[in-house]
Amino acid sequence: MEHDFWRQWQTLAAQWAPAAAPGAARGEAVGFAPWADAAERFTAAARSFVQGTAQGSPPAAAEAVRDFGDFLREQFADAFQLPGGQAFGAARGAPPTFGMDLPALGPTREHLQRGQRAAEAWRRTEDAQRRLQRLWSDALRDAAQGFAARLTPPQPGAVSPEALHALYDQWIDCAEEAYARTAHSDAFCTALADFVNASSQSRRELQSIVEQWAKLLDLPTRSEINTLAQRLRSVEAELRAARSERKPQAAVKASRTRRKPKP
Amino acid sequence: MTDPNLYAALAAASHSAAGYSQKQAVWQSGKLRLYRYQPIARPTSAVPLLIVYALVNRPYMMDLQEDRSLIRGLLAAGLDVYLIDWGYPDGADRFTTLADYIDDFLAGCVEEILRLHGLDALNILGVCQGGVFSLCYSALHPQKVRNLITMVTPVDFHTPADLLSKWVKKIDVAAWVGDGNVSGDALNQLFLSLMPFRLTQQKYMELMRGRADRERIENFMRVEQWIFDSPDQAGAAFLEFVTWFYQENRLVENRLEISGRRVDLKELRQPILNLIGRKDHLVPPAASAVLQRLVGSGDVTTLEFDLGHIGMYISARAQREVPSAIAGWLAVR
Repeated sequence: MEHDFWRQWQTLAAQWAPAAAPGAARGEAVGFAPWADAAERFTAAARSFVQGTAQGSPPAAAEAVRDFGDFLREQFADAFQLPGGQAFGAARGAPPTFGMDLPALGPTREHLQRGQRAAEAWRRTEDAQRRLQRLWSDALRDAAQGFAARLTPPQPGAVSPEALHALYDQWIDCAEEAYARTAHSDAFCTALADFVNASSQSRRELQSIVEQWAKLLDLPTRSEINTLAQRLRSVEAELRAARSERKPQAAVKASRTRRKPKP
Repeated sequence: MTDPNLYAALAAASHSAAGYSQKQAVWQSGKLRLYRYQPIARPTSAVPLLIVYALVNRPYMMDLQEDRSLIRGLLAAGLDVYLIDWGYPDGADRFTTLADYIDDFLAGCVEEILRLHGLDALNILGVCQGGVFSLCYSALHPQKVRNLITMVTPVDFHTPADLLSKWVKKIDVAAWVGDGNVSGDALNQLFLSLMPFRLTQQKYMELMRGRADRERIENFMRVEQWIFDSPDQAGAAFLEFVTWFYQENRLVENRLEISGRRVDLKELRQPILNLIGRKDHLVPPAASAVLQRLVGSGDVTTLEFDLGHIGMYISARAQREVPSAIAGWLAVR
């Protein structure tokens, strides 16, 4: 679900766009067409909510609120990407095992161990991602509950764009408040740290594997370039130090020269 | 209702947020450029003002457009303004350290300005992370800084509202950085995730609601360009900054060393103006306000504005209030 949040906002934005308007010519839908269906779903959910709450019966109103909240949870479930590019909801399926159970023996043991370490790091990355997804989902649930508690539905005859905007803004306020509570929690901070740490290890192991292949093909590796860069840095530092040592000496020399009386 | 021309106007918008005011590069070191702005008013001070911006975004935010430019406000007040542009680090800069940034690049800019003006000390305006650098530099070289202004600058990195600090607490930053740089795109995602609903969705919905007039769209696009025009971060400096400041809070605990020398905020005895955004979600007000009790100066002014982090640079209110506050404060010192 790459760039999913972008799709999500466009999904919502599309309902205000001319392309989403009933009867809009197909040619006007350029840029928004892929999201028109989802936009219609949002509008339908909002209308259903307004009509449900306007019926007057408490059970019907409660059901309308719950349905609208559920819709928003579903709509935003994949709405946000982690640094590194994967949505919270992206961790699915079993991680690759890469011979995890094989004993590392013989001349290929180092290669096998590198692969096993990479697979283990990948597994931990996915595990952390699943925990983040659960926390994100919990935050959305809390947001939906908070939203439902605060809702003041517009009059059914007046489901104007302004009323939809107001509903949307109210939802955003509730969502940010719920998310902030989650994001400050120890559970979220730990899951995020686990995700970043496991991703870092995964990348390091992959780099190591790639470097092995590069050596076989006699290609330069990042490690070699880094070594050269460090050497260059220390040469530059020595040069700067030498220059700054010479500066005061030159200044003293110049000052002595100036004091010398002219013949 | 969305203006039917909005989509076309967005597609046609230019992306030209390179800064508005006239300036000239007067010094450079590696990718760093030191700019001096062309005056637009009669000079009111012989002491130049050096603006030290953060590494994580581009400094043209200080001069985004004619009517949204902190720099233009300062120039209009008759100040002689310099700005550091750190450039875009690439793979060759991965081992650049905080000592390089503070004691080499920033120090080099100060020396150059002092040489040009024949002065012993100048005024510094440090912004956000640039404010942290300015505090470090001024503490290490107090005799070269006549007046110090910090703007949306974190000092205490462990205040309860500091979400970034909580997030990085358990992260193995050395493993994250590895031997490379840190991608600007990854940092963008991190900043967006502080308020994901507002920053990735509501903001664009607001855009959809308005008119498709060119000025509004161009204004939006300039800010959008600035937000996502994020340089990669030199790996070594990033590792040091996150570890020493965010994780270990060394500045507040008086344990920070740059180039082997202790950065003691008590050494800051010059007048200090600290500008804080009350709605700042990146640098909580408490993280900045603590400066007053940590410095050795008896002349500290703290001004709070009812603005967010970005609003401190570009909001209409900031244009009215921030440059005049800085110029007025400097005028009597």
